[in-house]
Amino acid sequence: MSTENEIILQFAPWESFVSPTFWHKLAELKLDHDRLSDSKRSITGHYTNRNASGCLLEVDYTAYNRTAQPPKFSHCAIGTIYNKNTIEEFKALDKLQLLVDEGKELLADMCSGGALRDPSLLTRFFVLSFADLKCHSYYYWFAFPCPLTPTLKLQGAVRKLRDLANSSSYITALKALPTESQNFFILYANVEKNVVEARSLSSLDEKEVEFCYFGFADPSEYEHPAWIMRNYAAFLLQQCPSFVGKPLKFLGLRQNQQMNIDDSLVWQVIQTEACDLSQSEDIKFVGWELNKNGKMGPRMVCMRDSMDPAKLAENSVNLNLKLMKWRLVPDLNLEIISQTKCLLFGAGTLGCAVARNLLSWGFKHISLLDSGKVGFSNPVRQNLYTHADAVAGNRMKATTAAQRLKDINPSAEMAGYVLEIPMPGHTIGESLVAQTKEHLEVIEKLVQDHDVIFLLTDSRESRWLPTLLGAAKEKIVINAALGFDSYLVMRHGTTRKETGDDGQEIEGLKCINGDQLGCYFCNDVTAPGNSLKDRTLDQQCTVTRPGVSNIAASYAVELLVALLQHPRKELAPAYYAQSGRGKSEEAEEKVPEGLLGILPHSIRGMLCNYENILPATQKFAQCIACSVAVLNQYKKEGHAFLFKTFETAKYLEDLTGISEFKRLNSEIIDFDDEEFDMSDSDED
Amino acid sequence: MGDLSWKDFLGQAKQFLEMSQKLGDNWMLEQKDSNEPNTYLKYSQKIKCQGGKDNSAELVSVEYHVVFSVSYQVPMLFFQAHRSDGSLLDLEAIWRLFMPESKASDLHQILTQMDHPVLFRPFMALHPCRTAEVLKQFGKPSSNQVLTFISLYGPHVQLYLPNAYGLGQDFT
Repeated sequence: MSTENEIILQFAPWESFVSPTFWHKLAELKLDHDRLSDSKRSITGHYTNRNASGCLLEVDYTAYNRTAQPPKFSHCAIGTIYNKNTIEEFKALDKLQLLVDEGKELLADMCSGGALRDPSLLTRFFVLSFADLKCHSYYYWFAFPCPLTPTLKLQGAVRKLRDLANSSSYITALKALPTESQNFFILYANVEKNVVEARSLSSLDEKEVEFCYFGFADPSEYEHPAWIMRNYAAFLLQQCPSFVGKPLKFLGLRQNQQMNIDDSLVWQVIQTEACDLSQSEDIKFVGWELNKNGKMGPRMVCMRDSMDPAKLAENSVNLNLKLMKWRLVPDLNLEIISQTKCLLFGAGTLGCAVARNLLSWGFKHISLLDSGKVGFSNPVRQNLYTHADAVAGNRMKATTAAQRLKDINPSAEMAGYVLEIPMPGHTIGESLVAQTKEHLEVIEKLVQDHDVIFLLTDSRESRWLPTLLGAAKEKIVINAALGFDSYLVMRHGTTRKETGDDGQEIEGLKCINGDQLGCYFCNDVTAPGNSLKDRTLDQQCTVTRPGVSNIAASYAVELLVALLQHPRKELAPAYYAQSGRGKSEEAEEKVPEGLLGILPHSIRGMLCNYENILPATQKFAQCIACSVAVLNQYKKEGHAFLFKTFETAKYLEDLTGISEFKRLNSEIIDFDDEEFDMSDSDED
Repeated sequence: MGDLSWKDFLGQAKQFLEMSQKLGDNWMLEQKDSNEPNTYLKYSQKIKCQGGKDNSAELVSVEYHVVFSVSYQVPMLFFQAHRSDGSLLDLEAIWRLFMPESKASDLHQILTQMDHPVLFRPFMALHPCRTAEVLKQFGKPSSNQVLTFISLYGPHVQLYLPNAYGLGQDFT
């Protein structure tokens, strides 16, 4: 070989490849065994030369076992883990010194001949780590120490095993090599004597170097041999100083998936300068792994996804939603759902059912407001409570419901507020004025802080204040009310002003834009008074067919989701077929559909005939809850205005001029009541 | 034909394992205990996957489990993939890794996440609802439905069996 052809042999550096089970086991050992001790611990890794990818050194949970049993087709690497107690210790540790200390251990094995008996000692590695068990974060840095010895120069081209003369006899000999010796071995090929055999490394004989291929299981998929050959060569030159200046043949054994070894590589190298590794004080070491950015530094992995039960649940919860998006509704905006904050007035039958449906859709922020305690009759219908809550006697619905929702989905943000909703016509005694003011402030703040208000209380008058606040603060308001076997679910017309396209006129359909739609009170011409007064028990504690609340709650949530997916959100127009003009069914089919179908203003349905109708109604200029007169008065006087309405509902009727209207139209109103018997009822 | 009993599954899984060993493949049989369905076939491989930070290729390790589905009485393919730092690929990443561009792919309908029936952890899975039907169409020529199942469903998630498995089959 002419010296001009000699180039310095380069090696494929190790790439650490960590199984999640390695971190699981480390966490377990730290918590149950090591605790505050941070003494080093022996571990094992493994690498394979079968169908290799990259140049991987792998560790999994078996790394901590006392006796190393590498997986099939893999070889054992000897390692140590230094798991520090704090990130500061992890950072402050002298990395150079640690590498030197580990390197000296390696040299000791090389010089003592220990590596001759157990060549896996040449594959020494170590891990410096810090496990942040609270955050499930692991900081780690692998190193594969290697003494800096004089360079190896490559003589001639790299050759494939199958291209060597006598390759078939070599292959036969190699196949006879026992598995446990395959990591480091000698292929002795003396053609003159007609001896070709694979031997264990301990048979190393300095004098027969020209007949030897120094074999090793090569985990590199690249043309360069794996990093271990560097230690291997250093070790051989230490054991046999006479090798200095002599050509040495290395055989990197590589198997493909079919166990074929034809593509194994042979490098002929020479080291021209001597180097005594027993003088370890003078030796420098290399071997810290580069991080993912190719920089000299540690890596960090967050294992929350697989180790934090709350995160596991969160991911699983999102699964069905994501599949819905991927398979059926690619444009579904799940982000907006997870960001929308919902405030539920009422944590009874409707409140519980709505909250659970919100969880199903992936809503993350749910607050409930209710002043009641869990009673004995509640748990069977109100699906967030149990008998034990009633027995305890002091469990408040709002906070209990919030806790249960949290139990169901720990990653969601839930809050319960035990508060009375002041109501028009429910006079507030002198002693309660201060407290009511306080409560009002909390309620106003809550409405302000949420995006959607659900009205799910059991009386008409308790919906007045939330309706007003929802309108005043430009929130999306969804209302659900129950009769014995009927229900009403509606979205209130919005007060939010935003320019945009008006709904398109379609023949046979009436179109009302979102800001022109009515609220729950728009169709009423009485101010909410004290409806609990003068009522029999069955009227106060509303009696409904149990399915009604679930149906209404489901519609309420689905209506909200459809609304959130609409490009104009609450400003989206509602359409309804004008009856009496014929062809109304035909017209209904023309209602423009959004991502999840049509977006009605209200859904009125009955269980007695299993039918729904979808009326849309205009805003009422004299509405006692959402009209300009009321909103302006509230903005002007604030609490003072509210207290006047609590004193007497008549005040609202006079303010809006509705008293007048009421006298004129009493007949029609009676008719409406007959037609849709929507008492505002939910079971308490 | 089509569905198979736990005993059939176990017998065929063991037969498949023997085949694998003969062919020098590295399938393994994991046995938690002797109860139904606590024995399953396991295989792992590295796959280069596009979509690292700078869209560079990233090596991921995928572990496949062929588990018996008690409810559907068919083999089921579970799998989990992790990166070199031990972090698992989430749903989106798995979807990107295996999902072909075409929406018409069967994978759209069957890729899901389920609790592993032996390990009780969420795993990615190919849903078994059509498996019996699919296997039935291969009823006659297949004496080992576990093998048939893996060779039919595996390619959806880059799990390919060498042709030698087919050659080793007893077609009588």
